[in-house]
Amino acid sequence: MDEPAYTVVSDSETTGEEKSSSAFPEIAIGIDIGTSQCSIAIWNGSQVELLKNTRNQKMMRSYVTFKDEVPSGGVSNQLSHEHEILSGAAIFNMKRLIGRVDTDPIVHASKILPFLVQTLDIGVRPFIAALVNNVWRSTTPEEVLAIFLVELRAMAEMQLKRPIRNVVLTIPVSFSRFQLTRIERACAMAGLHVLRLMPEPTAVALLYAQQQQLTVHENMGSGSEKIALIFNMGAGYCDVALSATAGGVSQIKALAGSAIGGEDLLQNMMRHLLPDFENRFSNHGMNEIKSMGLLRVATQDAIHKLTTQTDVQIDVNLGNGSKVSKLVNREEFEEVNQKIFEKCENLIIQCLHDAKVEIDDITDVILVGGCSYIPKLRNLVMGICKKEELYNVINPLEAAVYGAALEGAVASGISDPFGNLDLLTIQVTPLGIGIRADGNNFVPIIPRNTTMPARKDLVFTTVRDNQIDALVTVYEGEGEKVEENHLLGYFKITGIPPAPKGVPEINVCMDIDASNVLRVLAGVILPGCPHPAIPVMEIRLPTVDDGHGWCAEALYRTYGSTLDLETVQKKI
Amino acid sequence: MASLSLSSSSTHFIGSKVINGSEFHSRPISVNFRPLRVSAAAATCESSTAERTRRSTYNMPRHISSPASLYEVLGIQMGATCQEIKAAYRRLARVLHPDVAAATRQNDDNTAFEFMKVHEAYETLSDPEKREVYDLSLFRQRRPVSSPFAMSSSAAAASGFSGYTRRSWETDQCW
Repeated sequence: MDEPAYTVVSDSETTGEEKSSSAFPEIAIGIDIGTSQCSIAIWNGSQVELLKNTRNQKMMRSYVTFKDEVPSGGVSNQLSHEHEILSGAAIFNMKRLIGRVDTDPIVHASKILPFLVQTLDIGVRPFIAALVNNVWRSTTPEEVLAIFLVELRAMAEMQLKRPIRNVVLTIPVSFSRFQLTRIERACAMAGLHVLRLMPEPTAVALLYAQQQQLTVHENMGSGSEKIALIFNMGAGYCDVALSATAGGVSQIKALAGSAIGGEDLLQNMMRHLLPDFENRFSNHGMNEIKSMGLLRVATQDAIHKLTTQTDVQIDVNLGNGSKVSKLVNREEFEEVNQKIFEKCENLIIQCLHDAKVEIDDITDVILVGGCSYIPKLRNLVMGICKKEELYNVINPLEAAVYGAALEGAVASGISDPFGNLDLLTIQVTPLGIGIRADGNNFVPIIPRNTTMPARKDLVFTTVRDNQIDALVTVYEGEGEKVEENHLLGYFKITGIPPAPKGVPEINVCMDIDASNVLRVLAGVILPGCPHPAIPVMEIRLPTVDDGHGWCAEALYRTYGSTLDLETVQKKI
Repeated sequence: MASLSLSSSSTHFIGSKVINGSEFHSRPISVNFRPLRVSAAAATCESSTAERTRRSTYNMPRHISSPASLYEVLGIQMGATCQEIKAAYRRLARVLHPDVAAATRQNDDNTAFEFMKVHEAYETLSDPEKREVYDLSLFRQRRPVSSPFAMSSSAAAASGFSGYTRRSWETDQCW
């Protein structure tokens, strides 16, 4: 097979850069990797500037095609036609696939994409492959992302005439820490160092904070606090954030997110136009790939048109004598996607609830992302927030990358004489983090929407007499049962002194530091003992590698409840 | 489990000793290792005057290094308005938040715990219900520094004995 196009930065190169950076601090660039589009921006000394590729595009399609000797991505590759992405040779939607195992519904929904996504439904990584000269060339979302990032990096280095090393990337709110490690790995493959991974709406919140700072400069530190609701929906993900802003400090009050986006709207619409399309497409033959591509492009086109017109005529010839010819109106589109819109609504309500913010207190409602042009969504968000209009001094497609570039400059220690970088974001944890205890339950130790840095602990105990080992399985998510959450890792506490069940006190402490690194500490004591029974264990998480979803299952099958823990009831 | 056994066992932790405040001999040990973290612990311990004087020699604003109450953590008056609380929180965040501290090349760890403490004070005081309960406890106990809402986590970290903190505050109150 071809040599991979990504490079791994050598040590010498790294140290060379660090030396030069001491004299002249390197400004980290901001990258917004979208499910469908991608952009890159940097603080140029006085403001944020979006970089353009050689074809003068600020927004580049997120895909990599394997059809040539060297894979090429949407940064450099010139598409002759949209259909080229849909030929089977190109991989896209990698942001939807990265860090997911083959039992994930999102992976299953990706089976109708023109490239190959196969699942065995046992909790390992899915088989993903591009069709190149009638041969399936296997790849991974990390590799595809890395190839794409290499192109982005080359483009930026060419324009800025300096090596690029540090980046701030935006990520969906619903990404688990395991998914974040996949993103970091892709960056490492591309020779990039991740300075920050920033949830998309919090990047937008930072831009908003800067804009507010500019308008009321005199009231530094105090001044009136502005509450903003930020709703972001792109092709792959939907995020909501509530931020309280004053004096350049953007305090995130709550986050909510889900893997729903334009891709789901599109698939529902395709199903509406051609009800048996999934069956038709299941064997991934050349002809099926082609006709599916045609339907996809036509449907996408129609959805775009429905943002400005009330109805649209779809006429597409799928080959093999089958044709779709239909007049679709906006109501139909909204009805077909009713469930998606309901989920969006729930996310907003949940976020408002978690932030303990009253609707009347919201100053501005900010809508960003590719789906923000959909009239139904605009009305829905304005309806919930009881607002007549949306915050309109922000570009919905560029806001996230703009915020990422601001954060890149701030985190690189750059200051601006005019105070334009006098900014701070106070982040919260988007998902709860806890362990398995009390049977198969997920017991959160750091609840979601906890301000970071954070440190919390809980006391657990043994479930059996003379239990000397205990398994600490760390999960992230919101589900009550462990299997509804993301597995981050597990480790065994060994050498617990024999004692009746319920006597040893097992303290599990979780710590998230300023750079969002999660550590888990576990210690054991017996009542009446002056010293901890065993040395405190400290583990950095996540520890799981690809496809370890099934490992947890295997663990529980092998050990049953012999290594279980339960929470110590709080005395009231 | 009986609260009594819980609290008695927890005194075996260095972290709890700091909170307990009655066994000062354990402190210098951690002071030697991580002097600044100890000042974070001050939020949760009732300290003698001598202790305070000693600690105030560290390069930290006094109201943070040895606060008498959550109000002092934020550097505000007891009767402060909600606006003042928020403004004070933001002002301190701009100094103590690790992102800022990193830029000004201060030690991340210490400011992280300082920030957590400030945030916890803010969380309690900016919520009218929690503030009311806290104010009552201040009044009743007359030993405000060992307030149940004071930050357990920073205390643990401050003691230099990570992973161990006192039990939940309910049990503490039984002392």
